[in-house]
Amino acid sequence: MLWKTDDPDTKKILYVQTHGEKDPERTATPFFLATAGAAMDNEVCIYFTMNGPQCVAKGNGDKIIVPKKGGGGKELKYFIDQALDIGVRLLVCQPSLDLHGYTMDDMIEGVEMIGGAAFNDMAVHADAVISF
Amino acid sequence: MIDVIKEDLVLDCSGMLCPMPVVKTSKAMKDLQSGQILKMIATDPGAPPDMEAWSRQTGNELLRSMTEDGKFIFFLKKK
Repeated sequence: MLWKTDDPDTKKILYVQTHGEKDPERTATPFFLATAGAAMDNEVCIYFTMNGPQCVAKGNGDKIIVPKKGGGGKELKYFIDQALDIGVRLLVCQPSLDLHGYTMDDMIEGVEMIGGAAFNDMAVHADAVISF
Repeated sequence: MIDVIKEDLVLDCSGMLCPMPVVKTSKAMKDLQSGQILKMIATDPGAPPDMEAWSRQTGNELLRSMTEDGKFIFFLKKK
């Protein structure tokens, strides 16, 4: 079981991020919703698949700028650090690393590797699964 | 006549946007003892529904929620 809590009162929320560098406007929201979820004492994970691993690749936190109308966007790193700071866990799967030629060494500190079976196991045991 | 609530800690989240008020509140509450009261001040228009939800989910009671000079003020009691 990849969820850590055994407290029945703690809800488990799994976010799924499929977007990456090409869609900077879609990269921050999973992080800040996950951050809010963790601040509500839920156990929260974000699973990065398809282009998602680009969000947690080393160097991309500074490179991906979350745009704002009128200019003055913010680096994705700000949202990533906020999520990590409050205990959100970041998960990737092997095939989606291969898709981009990544290995775990290319991932920022704190990223964990899981597989497709583990993801499905987490999904069926989650209280909510939210996909982007 | 409204009873005066005496807070044990004040947290000013003025100017902060979602999810920072919730994050800061969560962290501030961890420093309080059970029964102590946090006064949180925010300007984010999303704060009133957020703090209601936060209170419901975490079990820390929202004693009072009010608006003063365009600011939202919340009194939260640590469970």
